[in-house]
Amino acid sequence: MKKKLLNLFLIAAMLLVAVPVVAAAPPPQGGGQDYVVVADDWLSKLADKFLGDVLAYPAITYYTNQKNAEDPSYAKITNSDLIEVGWKIYIPSPEEAQAYFDAQVAKVGATGDTIKIGALAPFSAPGAVVGGTQMKAAFEIAVDEINAAGGVLGKPVELIIVDTEGLPERGTAAMERLINQDKVVAVVGEYHSAVGLTAKEVAHANHIPVVFAETWNDKITASKYPEVFRVAPLSSEVAALDANFIQSLGAKKVVIMTENTGYGIPAAESTTERLAERGIEAVTFSADIGTQDFSGIIERIKAENPDLILVLLTGETSYNFQQQAAEAGIGPQDLPMICNQVADNSEAFWSNVPDGNLCFYRKIGLAPALYTPETQAFVDKFFAKTGETPQSYAMEAYDSLKIMAQAINEAGSTDADAIIAALENISYDGALGHITFPYGINNPPPEDMGDKWWHQFPDFAATFIQYQEPGQNSADAPVVFPENLKTADPILP
Amino acid sequence: MNRTKWLWGLAAAVGLLLIAAPALLESYPYIMHIAIVAFFYAILASSWSLLAGYAGQFSFGHMAFMAIGAYTAGIFGKYVRLTTAPTGVCSEIPMGNHWLVLVNFFGDNCLELGKANMPVGTLIYRLPALPGIILGIIMGGIFGLLVGVLVLRLRRTYLALFTIGFSEIVRVTFNAEIDITNGPNGLELAPLFPNGVHLFGFYFNSANKIPPYYVMLMLFLVSMAVMYWLSISRFGLFIRSIREDEEAAAALGVHIVRYKVLVFVVTSMIAAAAGAVEAHYIGVITPNILLILQMSLVISMAVIGGLESLVGAAIGAIIIEFALEFLRTSFTIGPIVVDMTTWRLVFFGLLLMLTLRFWTNGLIYPIIQRLTRSGVAEETVAMRQAAVEGAVEGQG
Amino acid sequence: MEHASYFFLALLWIVGWGTVGAVVTPRIYGRKDLDVSQASLAGAATGAAGGPFALLPLWYLTPELTWKWVAIPSIVIVIIFAGSFAAADPNNLCVTNSGFVATQLVNGLVIGTIYGLMALGLTLIFSILGVVSFAHGEFYMLGGMAVFYLTDVWFPGLHPLVGVLGAAVLTFVIGVIFERLFLRAMNTGQVERPGEYAILVTFGLGFFLQYLTLALVGANPKKVPRFFEYPTISLPSADNPTLLKVTAGTIKMFNLISIPSPRFTAALIALILLVLLMWFLYYTWIGKALRAVSQDRQAAAVTGINPDTMNTLAFGLGTMLAGLSGASLVQVFSWVPWVGIPASARSFVIIVLGGMGSLPGAFIGGLIVGLVEAAGAGCVPDPQRAASYIPAYGMLILTLVLLLKPTGLFGREL
Repeated sequence: MKKKLLNLFLIAAMLLVAVPVVAAAPPPQGGGQDYVVVADDWLSKLADKFLGDVLAYPAITYYTNQKNAEDPSYAKITNSDLIEVGWKIYIPSPEEAQAYFDAQVAKVGATGDTIKIGALAPFSAPGAVVGGTQMKAAFEIAVDEINAAGGVLGKPVELIIVDTEGLPERGTAAMERLINQDKVVAVVGEYHSAVGLTAKEVAHANHIPVVFAETWNDKITASKYPEVFRVAPLSSEVAALDANFIQSLGAKKVVIMTENTGYGIPAAESTTERLAERGIEAVTFSADIGTQDFSGIIERIKAENPDLILVLLTGETSYNFQQQAAEAGIGPQDLPMICNQVADNSEAFWSNVPDGNLCFYRKIGLAPALYTPETQAFVDKFFAKTGETPQSYAMEAYDSLKIMAQAINEAGSTDADAIIAALENISYDGALGHITFPYGINNPPPEDMGDKWWHQFPDFAATFIQYQEPGQNSADAPVVFPENLKTADPILP
Repeated sequence: MNRTKWLWGLAAAVGLLLIAAPALLESYPYIMHIAIVAFFYAILASSWSLLAGYAGQFSFGHMAFMAIGAYTAGIFGKYVRLTTAPTGVCSEIPMGNHWLVLVNFFGDNCLELGKANMPVGTLIYRLPALPGIILGIIMGGIFGLLVGVLVLRLRRTYLALFTIGFSEIVRVTFNAEIDITNGPNGLELAPLFPNGVHLFGFYFNSANKIPPYYVMLMLFLVSMAVMYWLSISRFGLFIRSIREDEEAAAALGVHIVRYKVLVFVVTSMIAAAAGAVEAHYIGVITPNILLILQMSLVISMAVIGGLESLVGAAIGAIIIEFALEFLRTSFTIGPIVVDMTTWRLVFFGLLLMLTLRFWTNGLIYPIIQRLTRSGVAEETVAMRQAAVEGAVEGQG
Repeated sequence: MEHASYFFLALLWIVGWGTVGAVVTPRIYGRKDLDVSQASLAGAATGAAGGPFALLPLWYLTPELTWKWVAIPSIVIVIIFAGSFAAADPNNLCVTNSGFVATQLVNGLVIGTIYGLMALGLTLIFSILGVVSFAHGEFYMLGGMAVFYLTDVWFPGLHPLVGVLGAAVLTFVIGVIFERLFLRAMNTGQVERPGEYAILVTFGLGFFLQYLTLALVGANPKKVPRFFEYPTISLPSADNPTLLKVTAGTIKMFNLISIPSPRFTAALIALILLVLLMWFLYYTWIGKALRAVSQDRQAAAVTGINPDTMNTLAFGLGTMLAGLSGASLVQVFSWVPWVGIPASARSFVIIVLGGMGSLPGAFIGGLIVGLVEAAGAGCVPDPQRAASYIPAYGMLILTLVLLLKPTGLFGREL
C-alpha cells in the first residue's frame, strides 16, 4: 500500500516536472539600422539626425537594450547621457520610434491624464498601525509637493495606498492589486520586512520598480532583483552600529530583548554576532508582539546581571517592557538601556514610560542639528498636518515617493527599465539627506561587501540620542553618539 | 418539475460562467486573485457550515486544520527532494534511477554535504505540489480524527473553548519552532506549477492566475459536490439528528461516535486541502492565519450566508470576500474622512450581529430557498385542495 | 538543559501512564458497574503519579474515588515534575535562586488576583445566563480606554478612582443594553438554538467593539499615570531595609521579593472589589436573588424574582467586572484596542479550570493561571522560547481540563 502510494506520487511528480518551458519569442522588428558610436556623438543628436526629433532619444535606448538582450554585440545603455565610442547601437525607424512612444502613452494608464504610483503601508493589526498612519501622512505630503511642482512627466501623480496589515500574504495580494488592477508604474513604501520579502517577488515577476521604505531585512536587497531599491538602513549595519555604541559605553554583558518577528529575530542574531566580534557577551530573550506582562522575563534578565539592555521590541510592546523594567529596578535609571526607536515620539514615550529618563535610543535619519533645509521643511509640514513629529519611517516613506517621482521624470518615461536606470543614477536630496544607489546593474557590489548592498542607500545617517531630563522633547534631547556628531556626553546611571 | 429544470439550468449557467470567467477576466489578474481567495474562503465557510450548521459542532479550530494542511505541504516541499544520484548522507529511498531524499530537520543540511558525493551533472528536483497537498490532506484528516475523538464528550461552549485552545496551541507552535516553520516570517512554498503549464493549447507561466484559478475552482466544486452528497445522504440525516437531540438519535440507532468523528475528519480534510492549495498559490504561509480574526471571518461568512446551507455559506463567503476587498477605499462625508480600512470591519461586525438576531437563516439562504421553493406554496395549496375534495367525495 | 533526558523521561512517564489511566480506568469501573464520573480524572492522576505500581492496585481494588484520589497523586505529579526538572537543569534559576522563585511566585499571585477578578465576571454571566461571553476581553479593553479618556483627555485632573468608577458605569451600561437587545431573544424563543446563537452573537459583539474602538481612537498606545505614588518607606531603618522598602515604583519585601507598585495597587483594587462583590451576592436581596436564579430558575421565579431582570443585571455586572479589571490595569500596561484578545483567552482558561459558573473557582483559577504563567516565563530554559510559549501554557491547561474533567475544580456536575 505504502509503495503504491509512493509510486503514485512519483508518477505525478514525473508528469509535472517534465512539462517543458516554452519561451514566447517576440516577433523580430525591422526597418531601423545599426550604428557605431563615434567621438562627439550623443543620443539626442543622433535622434535629431535620424528621427528628426531631439526628444526621441529614449526610443534609441529602448531598442538598443532590446537588441542587447538577444545579441550581446549591441551595447547596453543604462544611462542615456553616457554612450561610449565604439558601442554598437540600434537606431529605430521612425515607425518603430512612433510605436515605442505610443506604447509609453498607453502605459501611463487608461485615462492617460495621471501617473499612477502605488504605496504600501500597514493600517490594521497585526501590522504596526501607528507606523502605517505616519507613513500615509508622509505619502500625502509628498504627493502634494510633487503635484504642486507640476507632477511627473507633465501629469499629476495619483497615489494608490494599500493596506498590507503586516501580513506577508497580504503583501502579495496588495502588490498584485496595485500592479494588475490599478496598473501602477512603480511602487513605494512598506513598513514590515516580512511583507517586503513577499512583495519584492511580485514586483520582480511583473518587472515593476519598487523603492522600499522601512523594511530593514538584508535579504530584500540581497536577492539582487533589478527592480528592488531601498532607502531604509540594512538590519545588519544597524546591528554593527548598535554594537559600536554598546562598546563605547564599556558594557561587557548585554541582554537583548527582542520581538518574535521577521525583524526582531534576525536583528538580535546579527547584533549578537557583531557584539561577539568585539568581545561582548549577549543573551537574547524574545517575546511575541502584544505581550503585556513581562514580570517573569524581567526577573530572569535581572538574574543575568547585564551591564546594558538593548530593546528590539517595537510599538506598545516596547513601552510595556521598558516601563515594567523601570518599575522592577532594571530600568534606564538603574543601568544603561537602549530603548526602541519608537521612543523618538516623545509624547507617547513619556505617557507610556514615565520612568524612562536616561533612555538611549537610535534615531535613523539626520540629527536635528544636521537637518538640511529639505528635512526641516518636511518636519514642519508633517507637524502642521498631523501635530506629530515624523519618525524615521515617515521620512523614508516621503523620500521613497519623491525619489521615485524624480526617477520617472529623469527617465522621461514610465518604462520600467528606464526608471530603474534612472534610479541607479539618481542624486536626490530629501528628508533623509543625500540619497544615491551606488551599487547595481552597472556597478555590482564588491565581493567583500556582499550582495545586501545592491540598490541600497548606503550613507543613511544614524545617531544615538539620550533623554536626559524627564519629559524632555525628542527635538531637545542631545545626541550622544557617534563622537563627531555628539552634542552631550552620555549620562550613565 | 418545470422549476427543477429551471434551477438546474441556472446552476449550469453559473458553473459555465465560473469556468469561462478567466477568458473574460484575463486582463484583470487582480479580480482573478480575489476570485481564487474567495473560492478558498468559500470552501472553508461551507465546510464549517457542514460541521457547525449541520452537525452542530461549533468548532473554532477550523483554521487550524487549514494551517496544518498548508504547513504539511510547505514542510514537505522544504525537506523532500528527488535526485538522480544518491547523496550517501541523507536518508533516501531509491526509486528506479531516482532517489527520494529526506533532508534532515535539524543540524547541517545533508543535501549540501552530499553534493560532494554526487557525480557532476546530478539533477536535484523539488517535488511538484501535488504529493505535498495530498500529504497535507492526510495530516488534516489525522488531526481531525484526533480532535474529533477528543471532543466527543464536549458540547457547545465547551467544544468552542476546546477548539480555541487547540487552534492557539497550533499557532504558537508554528510561531515558535522557527528552525522548521521559519516562524513569523512564514514558510515559503513553490508555486502550484513551478514550470508553468499547458492548458487548452496555451502556455501559462508560473505567475499566471489562470491555472491556480481552475485548481481552486475544481477543489471548490469537488468539495461542494462531496459535501452536498453527504448532506442529502443518510450521513446528513444522521448528523442533523445528532445536532437536534443526541440521546434521541442514539436511541434510534444512530452510531453517534462514528458520525461525530467522521464529520470532523471530512471537514478537516476539506479545510486542509483548501489550505495546502492556497498556500502554494500565495507562496507563503504564516502563523498569523490562525489569529482569531481569520477564524471570525470564516464564521461570519457562513453565518451571513446561511449557517445551515452549504451553498448559502459558499455564496456568502464569495460575496463578502469581494466586498471586503472593494470596500478598502476611503471616502469623505463633508469634512469627515471615513477610513474604510477599519470601518468596513466595524460594519461587518454589526452586520454579523444583526444577521444572527433578525435573520437566523442568514441573508443568502432565504433567497436560495425562495428560488427553489417558490412553487411549493402553490403545489401545497393544490394538494390540500385535492385532499379536501377527496374527503368530500368520501363523505358523499 | 544539561541532562534534558531526565526531564523528558519523567514527562513521558507522566503523559504515557496518565493516558493509560485516563482511558482504561473508566472501562474497568464501568465493567464493575461503579460510578465512572471521576474515573478518567482519578485514573489519569494516579497513572501519571505512580505508573503501573499505582494503577494495577487501583484497577484490582477499585476503591471509591473520592477527591483524595486526585489530590494526592496531583501532589506526587508536581513533585516528580519539579524533581526531574531540577535534576535535568541543576543550574536553572528556578532551582538555585530562592529569591527569584519567591518573586516569581508573588508576581504570579498578584497578577493572578486581577485575572481572577476578570474571570469572575465571565463565570457570573455563565452561572445565570448559561452563556460564555466571547466579548469579555473587549469589555476589559473598554474599561481601560474609559479611564484613559476620562482622566487624561476629557477631564484632566480627575481623580483616577473616579475614572475607574466611570469605566464601571460605562461597561455596565453597554452590557445591559447588549443583553436587552440581543440576549433577551434567547429566552423568548425568537432565535433557534440559543446556545449556539449566544456564542456567535457575543463573538460578533467583540469583533464590533474592537474595530469600533480602533476606528474611533486609533492605534496609538495609551497609558494612565500610576494611580498612587507610594511614599518612601523603609523598615526597620533607611540604611538597612531588611523588612520592607517602598519607593514610588517598587515595593521590596525582605530584600528578596519585589512587586511593581502599580501592579500592587491594581491587585489591591481587585481584592476590595472582590470583597464588595461577595458582600453584594451574599448579604443583599438582589445578590441573593441572583444566586437563587443561578441555582434554579423556575423555583426562583415562583418566589417572585423576575429571571429576565436578573439576566440583564448579571450580564451587566459581569461586563462591569471585566471593565474594572481593565480599568485597574491601564496604569500597569500600555493600552491598545486589541489588548482584550489575550485577556479573554486567559479568562476562558480560568473559568474552565475553576469550573464554569463557580465563583471561588474563578478566583482560585486566576491565581493558578498567574502562577503557571510566571513559572513558564521564569523556568523554561531556552530564553527565546520561554516567552513565546506563554499563550500556550494556559491553553494547554484548558484543553487538558476539558478532556479530563470538563466541570473544572469547583464546577457543578453537568
